[in-house]
Amino acid sequence: MAAPQRLDALAKVIRSKNAGPFEITFDIMFDDAAKYERVKASGVINAARIAEAYRIRVDDVLVCRPYDAAVAFKITIRRPVGSGDIEDRDVYGCQQHVPLTRIEIPGGR
Amino acid sequence: MAVQEIVGLAPSGSMGSGYNLEAFERGLAANPHFIGQDAGSTDMGPYYHGTGAPFLPLATYRHDLSYMLRAARKLKIPLLIGSAMTSGANENLAAMVRMVTDLAREDAMSFRMAIISAELDKTDLKRRLAREPFESLGPAGALTPETIDRCGPVCAQMGVEPFIRALDAGAEVIIAGRACDDAIFAALPILKGFDKGLSLHCGKILECAGLSAIPYDLAEPLLGRVRRDHFEVEPCHPKHRCTTVSVAGHSLYERGDPCLQPGPGGMNDLTAATFTQLDERRVKVTGSRFVPDKIYRIKLEGAEQLGFRSIVMVGIRDPIMIRQIDTILQEARERAEERFAGKGEFHLLYRIYGKNAVMGDLEPDTHLQSHEIGLMIDVVAPTQELATGIAMFTRGTLQHASYPGIVTTAGNMAYPFSPFGIPVGPAHRFAVYHLMPLKDPCEIFPMTLEEVKN
Repeated sequence: MAAPQRLDALAKVIRSKNAGPFEITFDIMFDDAAKYERVKASGVINAARIAEAYRIRVDDVLVCRPYDAAVAFKITIRRPVGSGDIEDRDVYGCQQHVPLTRIEIPGGR
Repeated sequence: MAVQEIVGLAPSGSMGSGYNLEAFERGLAANPHFIGQDAGSTDMGPYYHGTGAPFLPLATYRHDLSYMLRAARKLKIPLLIGSAMTSGANENLAAMVRMVTDLAREDAMSFRMAIISAELDKTDLKRRLAREPFESLGPAGALTPETIDRCGPVCAQMGVEPFIRALDAGAEVIIAGRACDDAIFAALPILKGFDKGLSLHCGKILECAGLSAIPYDLAEPLLGRVRRDHFEVEPCHPKHRCTTVSVAGHSLYERGDPCLQPGPGGMNDLTAATFTQLDERRVKVTGSRFVPDKIYRIKLEGAEQLGFRSIVMVGIRDPIMIRQIDTILQEARERAEERFAGKGEFHLLYRIYGKNAVMGDLEPDTHLQSHEIGLMIDVVAPTQELATGIAMFTRGTLQHASYPGIVTTAGNMAYPFSPFGIPVGPAHRFAVYHLMPLKDPCEIFPMTLEEVKN
């Protein structure tokens, strides 16, 4: 068994961005299919884990799925506050990715 | 002989931000059938939709427009511009039309221009709302006539149909208000009988231009070729590359679901899409499939004004103060609430850079570790004067606040510049982000044709 690794040690791109003013969407992309498959097989990228990373309700995780064609995971959450609304802090939603980078992926074979 | 392909050229992913003109020339050498350019977005937040102000100075749009307009006229191919400019409301649309006519005069260009409006008449909108409620894509609560009245211009995002109608009418330059980004690029291929799913997917890739190539660059032109059973994309810069991962990855960009991408009148289903590397720089895509909805619906956008914003930005370096920052800020808040009680509802937000200003409640690192913090005192109040008054009062309180262990009694905060209080202007929130049914995809997008003669 290899040692567990953080997601940012395996993925090439971990990004966040608005998908319209009321959702934030995350793309986790890989430049190595083996690493992608390892993360996918681990099953760690799931709605419950995402909700935990952001301390939000599981219901607010709208999409969480792998997308083989892009060798990527797609995650979308409901924005706690609409883009640019009074309490908003990130109008583009492009700096909300850090909690994902720390997700621990168990060691593969 | 039937047309074998439609080649589209996207100069840049965002009009006004500039683009690589040398690469654009290379794109023109590929004999595109049209040039398409997206010029708007909700990305920059509700201010631009609420006020109708363009995101960038007009001169930057004019710069970008001048090259693509001259190129389109030289090759005698249509130029399609959507979401002019930013919100795509009528005032901005008219401003872009003026730029087009000015440039045409300067260069003695003549052409048929279609102007397509996307701003709704509010009386008509309220009448439609009274007939049936609109499904919300975000704003809480039902959409009401009062909300519509509080909004700036309300626009609808047009699909491909208004563009197709303009092309059918022989328009050589199409300037459209708010439009779906992909529709700008999908209209001509669909008009020529190519598959709607492939055309829209190719449009989705083209709308951000070089952002789907490597290196990622919004200012790098991109070519798309829609054919019978596939499309191809290729960056114009000879050293840039489209890869299966960069193109498939861009299919995800800004979209909630990787495979099911809803738009006017239906869903583009990319579940079966395949991405194939043709050579070092080109990617071929197949399998995107458009699934029409039973009811044709379009998305409405509008932002309501909440008041006026004023801010004060300062830096805090003293470690004793930083350790107690939350308590000190809370005391200043209470003083402001007491001082301005009864003056109208206001909202005071402390944005503490170095703590949680970027992520708020989503921030996992709750322990403050910075040796300095940036503080923005952000006030939204019913008038600009009151907002500035509250922000400056709070600043004054904090400047001389006393706290346990204080050593720096001459003042608590460093000001980056003078003046301290900055009136930011009106504050908005997206209040209309709803789906409205249409009988005819063009019924709320009136088109005017103009013969520009020079």
